[in-house]
Amino acid sequence: MSIIAVYNIKGGVGKTATSVNLAYLSARQHGKTLLLDMDPQGSASYYFRIRAPKKFGAKKLLKGGRHIEENIKGTDYPGLDMLPADFSYRNIDLALDECKKSHKRLSKVLAPLLEEYDRIILDCPPNLTLLSENIFYAADYILAPVIPTTLSLLSLEQLFAFLDEIGLDRDKVVIFFSMVEKRKKMHTEMMQSLREDNRVLRSVIPYSADIERMGIYRQPVAAALPASAATAAYENLWHEIQELLAI
Amino acid sequence: MVHFGPDTWLLPDSLPVEGLLAALAADFGFDTAPEYEATVVYADTFDWRLYQQGYLLHCHDNCWTLYHEDNSEVTVQQGGPELHAACFARDFPPGRLRELLAPVLSVRCLLPLAAVHLHGRQIRLLNRDEKTVARIVVETQEPVDGERCYRLVRLFGLRGYGNELEAVRGILATAGVTEPVSPLVGFEEGCRAKGRSPLDYSPKFSLELNGGETARDAMARIYQFLLETIIRNMPGVLADYDPEFLHDLRVAIRRTRSGLSLVKRVLPAPVADRFGRVFGRLGALTGPTRDLDVYLLAREDCLGRLPPSLRPGLEDYFAGLSRKRQAEQKKLVRALRAKKNKAVFAAWQRALKRRDRQPADLADLPVRDLAGRIILKRFKRVSRDGRVLDAATPDTEVHRLRIQCKKLRYAMEFFGSLYPKQEMQGLIRHLKKLQDILGSFNDLSVQQEMLRQTLKSLPAGSRRNLDQAAALGGLLQSLFREQQELRIHFTEAFAQFGDQETSALFHELFGKRQEPA
Repeated sequence: MSIIAVYNIKGGVGKTATSVNLAYLSARQHGKTLLLDMDPQGSASYYFRIRAPKKFGAKKLLKGGRHIEENIKGTDYPGLDMLPADFSYRNIDLALDECKKSHKRLSKVLAPLLEEYDRIILDCPPNLTLLSENIFYAADYILAPVIPTTLSLLSLEQLFAFLDEIGLDRDKVVIFFSMVEKRKKMHTEMMQSLREDNRVLRSVIPYSADIERMGIYRQPVAAALPASAATAAYENLWHEIQELLAI
Repeated sequence: MVHFGPDTWLLPDSLPVEGLLAALAADFGFDTAPEYEATVVYADTFDWRLYQQGYLLHCHDNCWTLYHEDNSEVTVQQGGPELHAACFARDFPPGRLRELLAPVLSVRCLLPLAAVHLHGRQIRLLNRDEKTVARIVVETQEPVDGERCYRLVRLFGLRGYGNELEAVRGILATAGVTEPVSPLVGFEEGCRAKGRSPLDYSPKFSLELNGGETARDAMARIYQFLLETIIRNMPGVLADYDPEFLHDLRVAIRRTRSGLSLVKRVLPAPVADRFGRVFGRLGALTGPTRDLDVYLLAREDCLGRLPPSLRPGLEDYFAGLSRKRQAEQKKLVRALRAKKNKAVFAAWQRALKRRDRQPADLADLPVRDLAGRIILKRFKRVSRDGRVLDAATPDTEVHRLRIQCKKLRYAMEFFGSLYPKQEMQGLIRHLKKLQDILGSFNDLSVQQEMLRQTLKSLPAGSRRNLDQAAALGGLLQSLFREQQELRIHFTEAFAQFGDQETSALFHELFGKRQEPA
């Protein structure tokens, strides 16, 4: 039973593709898995062709209990359910602010779901807010996809500084390289230097047209193109995470 | 019991699959998986261990598929042995299927049940986003030895899509799909064709007596029930599928013997004497093979007791036991196949069914009056012997108490249906705890004796024998120590069973002044 948050302050680093594919692989390995789409854009929900129910939104999410359970949807894949995002999530910080113990609300809401699910994967929006703080408290691991560029390095430093500020252990953060282009010299150099100072997973997700096209076929790449290089990369990443979680 | 969801119907003969799809097409898109077709053989243990746990297992050549009632999906599908004869969990390659099967099957083997020809296809029903909102499976089930062919429609919903599920149900009903059916109908029909039906065998003794029936009638029904257990296990014993057939057969024999010795003056004395001897002989006949089974089943446990360096010697010992068992099994089969034995069972059945020319003096007593007396007598005996039980009691005395407990247990099981269920279960649970300790103690005793005998007969001289002797010595030490530890718990084990409360309950339930049920 574990909660993994896929997070980076920067957008467009492959968070959603990672969440969707890891959730799919987790369920395929007989672990009942729940994917929580926390991003008001709802990209993960879109990939699974799931629309948010009409009467669901940020307030219901924070109420928890049956308000969540009634809105969980089965995906097309056995063992994988998801809680779709709603556009109202864009104002979730306001709603959070009204809660008691506002920085730990999400932990409380997720706790009962761990009885039903072996793994919960959170697809997080790219920002640093009260919601992020909630996510960091709730997650056992913060999985951060990083494109090996200077700006990504900056966003990592911001993440660590924020964790220090709220008094959470930096060890929660697990980094892996995403959207890597081998032929770019800068990517190779950045990866080398980042590996020297941080805990970075061995597996690398390459930049891939197959992953980009997920928006067209609206399935995890591992389901749509099981023999592709992109699928193999996600499988390697998932194996490494499993070792980390010792499952 | 296996319940695979409620949404299964027979597809009317007049409605082709295309007609069904046409009815759904107005509201849903489709994604049809390729058609599947296979003749599968369902397998379970003789006593339905998988079925009891909600599992259904079938194989198609050496591809095995396991389902569980909690889930409409395949639980696991994996390669395995071919089901020509008995298959044990250990015959499967390491993996999830074996992990799931091993604890459920334990020492029992899988046997082929029904063969059913299945063909059908799965259709995903899609909404405007082409998201799956429900699945239907249209399947034809044709038991190979059966007479009928069943066309089924099964509907599976998806979490969060309840409205769509309701809509599909409505469309199906309008199309004339209204007759609910068990999704296992082909399996059940296939079993019937082979003379079996789910849960038709259990080693547990369960017979509803009626307090007013005569002791003679009640005992005849009890013996008849036990005789059926013996006869049903016989083919498995002869074929030597797994050790439980012989075990169940022996328990039924022992229960019969206990009945004959506990319940006197109900059958005419010459009949009781004759069949007491007959079942005594059968018990003795089947003993050696069972004893060896017990040793062989303890193999892993025994190996685990020894340091790795001593284990090879023990392997030799078990190899020897295994050869001995083969020889004993051969002897057993020859003896059981003898004409004399077949005739004996028929004679026993005749004796139970016919009217006694000279009825025994308690034959017409209502069984209710007899039962309490017998149980109470056995209880008093166990109490008397048990009270003196302590850490220093000699092995032979412990063994005697164990036999007394067995007799009490059998008497309680024979007549259990005449008494309040809850109280009975409570008392049996207490008794069982005591029996478990005494049973383990006795097993350890018998094992040590066997080891001592083997050691005595082991010729000196070779390195191999020396290794074996060292292993046996090590094992003796370990068994002895465990036995000593059990002794410490004797007093408390009996105290739990023989306390005031239990004793009072025994007297209240089975004492003379009880009201007729």
